[in-house]
Amino acid sequence: MSEIEKEITPREVADKSAKEALQKAIRMALAIESDAVRLNTQTFNRNRYTAVAEIEDYEALKDRAREIKEYSIENNEKLLGRLRQVIEKRGGHFYPARTKEEACEYVKNVCLKHEAKLVVKAKSMTSEEIKLNHTLEEAGIEVAETDLAEFILQVSDEQPSHIVAPAIHRSRERISELFKEKFDTDQPLDTGEDLTKFARKILRQKFLTADVGISGANVISADTGTIVLVESEGNIRMVTQAPPVHIAIAGIEKVIPRREDLAVFIELLAPSATGQPLTSYTNIIDPPLDLPPFSFDGRPKKEREFHLVLVDNGRSNMRKDPELKQALYCVRCSACLNVCPVFQTVGGHAFGGETYSGGIGGAWEAGTGTLENAGFSELCTGCSRCIPQCPVKIDIPWLNTVLRNRLNHPDGKKAPAQKRFFGNFASSARIASLFTPVSNRVSNFSVSRSLLEHFFGVDRRRELQNFAGQTLTKRFKKANIQASEAKSSAVLFADVYTNYQNPDIGLITAKVMAKLGVEITLSDVLPEGRASQSQGLIDIARKRAQQTARYLEKMIDAGKPVIVTEPSVLALFRLDYRNLLNDAALFQKLKKMSYDPIEYILHLFTENGMDWKKCFSPQKLSQQKLFIHGHCQQKTIGAFDATVTLFRQLGFDVVTSSVECCGMAGSFGYKKQFYEVSKKVGEDLLDQIGQADEADDERLVLAGGISCREQIRSELNRPVYHPMEVLEKIIG
Amino acid sequence: MENQQNLIEQFISAAERAAATVERVHNSPAALSQAISKITAGEKTVLLAEPDYLPDELFRSLRELPGIITHPTEEQMATTKIGITDAFAGVAGTGSICVALSRNLGGSISLYTREHVAVLSAQSIVSRPRDIFTMQAKGGNHQDFVFITGPSATADMGPLVRGVHGPGKLHIILLEETDV
Repeated sequence: MSEIEKEITPREVADKSAKEALQKAIRMALAIESDAVRLNTQTFNRNRYTAVAEIEDYEALKDRAREIKEYSIENNEKLLGRLRQVIEKRGGHFYPARTKEEACEYVKNVCLKHEAKLVVKAKSMTSEEIKLNHTLEEAGIEVAETDLAEFILQVSDEQPSHIVAPAIHRSRERISELFKEKFDTDQPLDTGEDLTKFARKILRQKFLTADVGISGANVISADTGTIVLVESEGNIRMVTQAPPVHIAIAGIEKVIPRREDLAVFIELLAPSATGQPLTSYTNIIDPPLDLPPFSFDGRPKKEREFHLVLVDNGRSNMRKDPELKQALYCVRCSACLNVCPVFQTVGGHAFGGETYSGGIGGAWEAGTGTLENAGFSELCTGCSRCIPQCPVKIDIPWLNTVLRNRLNHPDGKKAPAQKRFFGNFASSARIASLFTPVSNRVSNFSVSRSLLEHFFGVDRRRELQNFAGQTLTKRFKKANIQASEAKSSAVLFADVYTNYQNPDIGLITAKVMAKLGVEITLSDVLPEGRASQSQGLIDIARKRAQQTARYLEKMIDAGKPVIVTEPSVLALFRLDYRNLLNDAALFQKLKKMSYDPIEYILHLFTENGMDWKKCFSPQKLSQQKLFIHGHCQQKTIGAFDATVTLFRQLGFDVVTSSVECCGMAGSFGYKKQFYEVSKKVGEDLLDQIGQADEADDERLVLAGGISCREQIRSELNRPVYHPMEVLEKIIG
Repeated sequence: MENQQNLIEQFISAAERAAATVERVHNSPAALSQAISKITAGEKTVLLAEPDYLPDELFRSLRELPGIITHPTEEQMATTKIGITDAFAGVAGTGSICVALSRNLGGSISLYTREHVAVLSAQSIVSRPRDIFTMQAKGGNHQDFVFITGPSATADMGPLVRGVHGPGKLHIILLEETDV
C-alpha cells in the first residue's frame, strides 16, 4: 500500500462540500487511480463510437428518447398513478417514498416482516443515494452486493467511482492485493479468472440462501408495469429469480408511458454505455414473476412477492427547477463520463460525490443532496465533448455552468476572486496590451507570478501568454488589405484572444480571404461572453452575448457571414448562445452564418465553383506531413472536419489526434488547483504527436485553438501553427 | 424470403461476435435430436425446459435422450452443467436470443447451468430489439423474457472474463427449413 493510500481514502473525500476534499481527492486519484480509470474509460469510449455508428437511425433515436423523457417528467404524477394501479392489480406492492428515510424504512420493514437474515442486492445507484445498506445492516440484516464491482467496493469500503462500472478505478492488480489482504483463502487470486471464480463461489451460496433480492430498474413502463434491467454478469437475474421476495428501487424519473417505447432505451443504453449492441442480459419483467417458488436450502417454499419503491428524494424539486430539470432525463449510461477528458484522468472519486459522478453527477448530487455536494462540478472544463454523446441530449456543460453560478453566489455574495479574474479576461487583456512589453515582463516576473497565484490562483508554472502591443485592430487598419476582384464580403470577428494575443492569425486570415476574393471587414472588439460563462458568471455572459449577437446580426443582415478564427468563440456562437440568448431566431441566424475560416473557404469553393489548385500551391512548403489536433468544441459543433478535408485535398499527409481535448480548456489549465490535472490530460495528445513523428522527420503540428497551441508548445518546445498560418504560406 | 436469409446471416455473425456459437440444423425432430445428443453425450444429467414457443413434437424425442431431466429439483437446477431451452425469437442486429421466463423454467435453466443450449427457429429472427416489442404490443402480450446476448461476462475484475453467475457458454441451435 502506497503512502498516499494510507493518507487519503476515497471515502473520506466523497463529500465535496468542503473545498479541501476536492484537492485531496485529485491528489489521491492522480497518484493511485488514474491509470486504471484511463484504460477502462477510454476503452468504453472507443467502443461507444463504434457501436453508435452501427445504429442506422442513431440521431432520430436520440430525439425520440429525449421526447419520451420530456413527456415523462412533465407527466410524472399521472404516470406514477397509472403504474401504481397496474402493479397493485397484479398483486405487487407500490410504495412512493418522498424521502430517503422513508424509502429505507419501508425496505427494512419488508425485510423484517419476512424475518430476513440475508439480502442479495444488485447494483442500484438509487440505493447508494439513499444509503440503504446502512439502514439494513443497522437492523441486523446482512446485505450481499452481487454486482462484482459493488462486491469489490463492499470489501474495500469505497464509494462508486463510476455510475456503470463502480470499481473502474481499481486495476486487476489492486483487486488482487485487496482480496489477498481481506480474505483468508487458499484459492488463487491472481488473474481475472481467479478473482471472478472466487467471488462467484461466495455469491452463488448467497443467492441460493437469500430471503430477499433487491434490484434497481433501468426503465419502467407505466402501462404494463414492465421493468427493464440491463446487466452482463447474471446477478440481476439471480436477484430477481432466486429469492421469494423481490424489491425494486428506482427514482421516480425512471417511469415512461408505454412498454413499446422501452425498446428506444434498450437500443441506446448498451451502445452508449459499454459500446456493446446489447449486454449479455436485458431482463424485461413484470414482477412478481410467474415462476414456481424455489427453495434451495430446504426451507418451506414461499409465494413470490414484489415491491416497487419509487424514490423522490429531491427529484420533485428538480422537476420544478427550470435548469436542473433536464438532469432527470438521464438514463445513467455513463457516456458523458467515458468521453470526458478530465474524468478519464481522475475518475469519479475526484470528479464525483457520495453517489453520482462525472459531468452529470453535479446536478444529481445537488438535486438529491445539497448544492455544496456538487463542488466537484468545477472539474467540468466545458469542453462540450459529452454533448453529442448523450442519448437524451442533456446539455451537461450548461448544467455545470448553472451549478458554478449558484456556488459562486451562495448568499448573494460576490464571486470568488479567481472567477472574476478569469471571467473578465477582456478588460484585463485590454489594459495589459496598453502597457506591453512592460505588462508581459511584469506578468511573467516571479514576484508578480506569486501574487497572481496568491490572489487569483493562476498557477505560476504556466507561462502567461504575451499580450501584443499592436492589437489586431491596429494592425488591420495599418495593413489596408484589399481583396482582388472581390466576389463576396465577410466579417472577421476580432475576438479578444485573437485581438490581444494572436493578432497575426487574424491578419493572416484577412489576407488569405482577400486573395480568395473575399472583402473583409473587421468587427469591433467585443467581449463575447466565453470567459464569464466558463466561470459561471451567467448574468455577465448573457449581457455580453446579447450585445455581441445584436452587433453581428446587423452585419449578417447586410449579407456578411461571420468568420471566427478562435474555435472556442465560434462554438459560443453556434452552441452556447442557445442558452445565453433569449432569442431562438437570433441564435439560429448566428449559428447558420458563422464559420470557421477553413469551413468558409470550402464553402466558397463549392459556392463559386473555384478550383483550389489555382488558389494554393502546396509544393511551396517543404514539409508535407501534418499532425492536426482538433479543438474539443470545434469537433462538437462539426467545424473541424473542414480542416482535415482541405489539407487532404491539397495532398498533405494528415494525421489527426484522437484525444477528446488537450486539457488546457481555456482558463482551466491556468488554475493552480487544476494544473496537474490539465497536464495529465494533455499527456495523451503529446504521446500521439510523438508517435506520428518519424525518427528524423517531425510533422508540422497544427491546432486551431489558442489554448491547445499553448498546451502543446509548453511541453514540446516546438512551434504549433493555426491552420491559417499554413494556408498563408501556400496561397497563390 | 431473401430478406429473412439476410437476417439469418446477420444474426449468426452478431451472435458469434458476442461469443456465442451457432449451429445450423435442419428443422426436424430427428436432426434436432441428433444435434442435441452430440452435445449431451457423456453427461449424466442434462436439464431440458419444456418449450415455450417451439412445437412440442420437436422436443418429444429429446425427452427420450439419456440423462435428460425435464422437471428438475432445485438441487439439480443449481448443480447441473448443461441446460437446454427454446428461444422465442432472435435479434439479427445484436445477435441476441429471447428466452421466456415462465413456469416451463427456460428462464431459470438458462441461468443456473454452466452451458446453455438454446434452440431457435430461423423464422423467428427479427431485425432489432424494437421489433420484439412491436410484435408483442400488437398481440397484447407482455410476456416476461430476457434478451440473452452471448454468455454471462464481466470486466469488473480487470480483464474480460466469461462465465460469471450465468453460463460461460452459449450454444445456439438454429433450425432452418432448407437442408443445411
